Amino acid sequence: MDTLTHLASGFAAALSPAYLAYAFAGCVLGTLIGVLPGLGPSAGTAILIPLTFKLDPTGAIIMLAAIYYGAMYGGTITSVLINVPGEAASVVTCFDGHQMAKQGRGGTALGIAAIGSFIGGVVATAALALIAPPLAKLALKFGPPEFFALMLLGLCLVSGLAGRSLAAALLMTVLGLLVSMIGIDPVRGAPRFAFGIADLYDGLGIVPVVMGLFGVSEILITAEQAAREVIRTRLAHLLPSRDEWRRSWGAIWRGTGIGFGLGLIPGIGAIVPTFMAYIAEKRLSKTPERFGHGAIEGVAAPETANNAYANAAMVPFLTLGIPSSPTIAVLMGAFIVNGITPGPFLFQERPDLVWAVIASFFVGNVILLVLNLPLVGLWAKILHVPFKYLAVGVLLFCLLGAYSLQQSVFDVWVMIGAGVVGYGLRRLDLPLAPLILGLILGPAIEKSLRTSLEMSAGDYGIFFTRPLCLGLLLVSAAVLAAAALKLAPKQLRAA
Amino acid sequence: MSPPSASHRAVERAVLACLGAIFVAAAAVAYGYSLKDDLGPGSGFFPFWLGVVGAALSLFLLAQSWRGRSIGDGAEGSWPDRAGALRSAVLLGGLVLSALLLAPAGFRLTTFVVTAGLLAALGVRRPLVLLGFALVASAGLFHVFYYWLRVPLPLGPFGL
Repeated sequence: MDTLTHLASGFAAALSPAYLAYAFAGCVLGTLIGVLPGLGPSAGTAILIPLTFKLDPTGAIIMLAAIYYGAMYGGTITSVLINVPGEAASVVTCFDGHQMAKQGRGGTALGIAAIGSFIGGVVATAALALIAPPLAKLALKFGPPEFFALMLLGLCLVSGLAGRSLAAALLMTVLGLLVSMIGIDPVRGAPRFAFGIADLYDGLGIVPVVMGLFGVSEILITAEQAAREVIRTRLAHLLPSRDEWRRSWGAIWRGTGIGFGLGLIPGIGAIVPTFMAYIAEKRLSKTPERFGHGAIEGVAAPETANNAYANAAMVPFLTLGIPSSPTIAVLMGAFIVNGITPGPFLFQERPDLVWAVIASFFVGNVILLVLNLPLVGLWAKILHVPFKYLAVGVLLFCLLGAYSLQQSVFDVWVMIGAGVVGYGLRRLDLPLAPLILGLILGPAIEKSLRTSLEMSAGDYGIFFTRPLCLGLLLVSAAVLAAAALKLAPKQLRAA
Repeated sequence: MSPPSASHRAVERAVLACLGAIFVAAAAVAYGYSLKDDLGPGSGFFPFWLGVVGAALSLFLLAQSWRGRSIGDGAEGSWPDRAGALRSAVLLGGLVLSALLLAPAGFRLTTFVVTAGLLAALGVRRPLVLLGFALVASAGLFHVFYYWLRVPLPLGPFGL
């Protein structure tokens, strides 16, 4: 009952003209980012953070969240029309979506993707509204040792599932944690690694770092690649035929379940649910040979799973403060910039913000459906924008974003440095997700570790005598052991 | 997936060696912050152990690389051709120039010069398109951020 009351007040806020406008602007910008080649959701969300600087925190978060799920949908358009996924989660959509475009059914592929995304997003948000409050209530009983173990589990999940090499992922996690140590010690208040440089006393800004790591490095890497050909396909018939509906319906519901279930696990990454949903459909199909040759279920299932995942990933983020993916880590950076700390206290301290944001997910999914079905032709035209204009525009936005947060040229240098580092790490195929998660969770994990040890007068037994804490630590160890022994499925590790 | 080239391995080892050195230096600096104080773990406790673990991981990966195993995933490991590398170097150069010019020349002048320069370097030859895009980008972004979003962007000579 409480949930319904909160949700109703959330809707009242989310449907106010200002917040509706922010959600609409976020959906448009997000879809645009997803469509534009060379800009994924993480980079796009990062470079658009400055647009929200002057908004109130609720408006800023509503807009950035809309950018996030808008970008998740926008990636589909490039997958279908140029066989290039706008972001990693749309890789699977290329298999059948691009084949459908080649057969002149590109409009139907984009239509079913929009409908599937809508259903997946709405159902996942309804489940989020039901699950999040009791989970946050449970997390309120956590003490510093449990929070330390929980954040450690988040880091282990992201490291364990981030790439082929566990050691490389752990190295990136440790690097992120170490970089987060620059600045004032959160417990004692003494400066660390500042070397007398006043700009370093506040630490490295999250916004310039994520802009560099994701935005600048992505543009540099894309600039090195050759231009792709855009398929000119019929976009007139967006709605599927009766037979195509029949084939897609089950795929959409199964995609919703898979996307939501896997979205609850931090570190899984968006690519895994889409692969799982695709594989499930292929296995269940009586004609699996159609997959890879333009099967509509091959578009419906992964696209639905993708959007259900995007909304479900908000559960561990909002209730426990653990970002599940690099994009949510960027979103967490935006929360922190706005003076909001995601986690169980958020539901107690800022219910107005949480429920307005959750309600805005529903609103945003409706906006995306309304926006994407009739405007799909316009989005397709944007694909023809030459990359050179796009690259220069994105770099200008990065420059603006890095500078405008604190009106500091130092932050611009931080962004450039992070861009070069991000470029190098990506060239060496070292995962960025654990690095950014370590950077964002670093101060909180250190604080909970040291507070725990102060509580126990330096006795490490505090972590092993509290059942929940011990359980979380055992799960963390199991995740790392499974990753070291390569027990996780191949798709999970590739995420 | 093809095995990494010799030059890729050389870069990989150089990066790991640098990272290892950074972690060792961080551990040494953190040791100076005190690992323990009256209340419990000191300011240097967490960064010290991070430095130690990071150095150990760098060493492990370096050994792995010497034994012929690539450390990454092999997805984006291929290096660009000359033209591709030049394009990204031009973009990076533009960003560095922006950072250098931003405070003394102001936002509008900097973005106008850098945008026009980058577009010319990336192959835009029509002067009208080049200057028009640069003008709209610099003046438009300034207007939106300075007047609408009230972000105090730097002004250059003559208030530009």
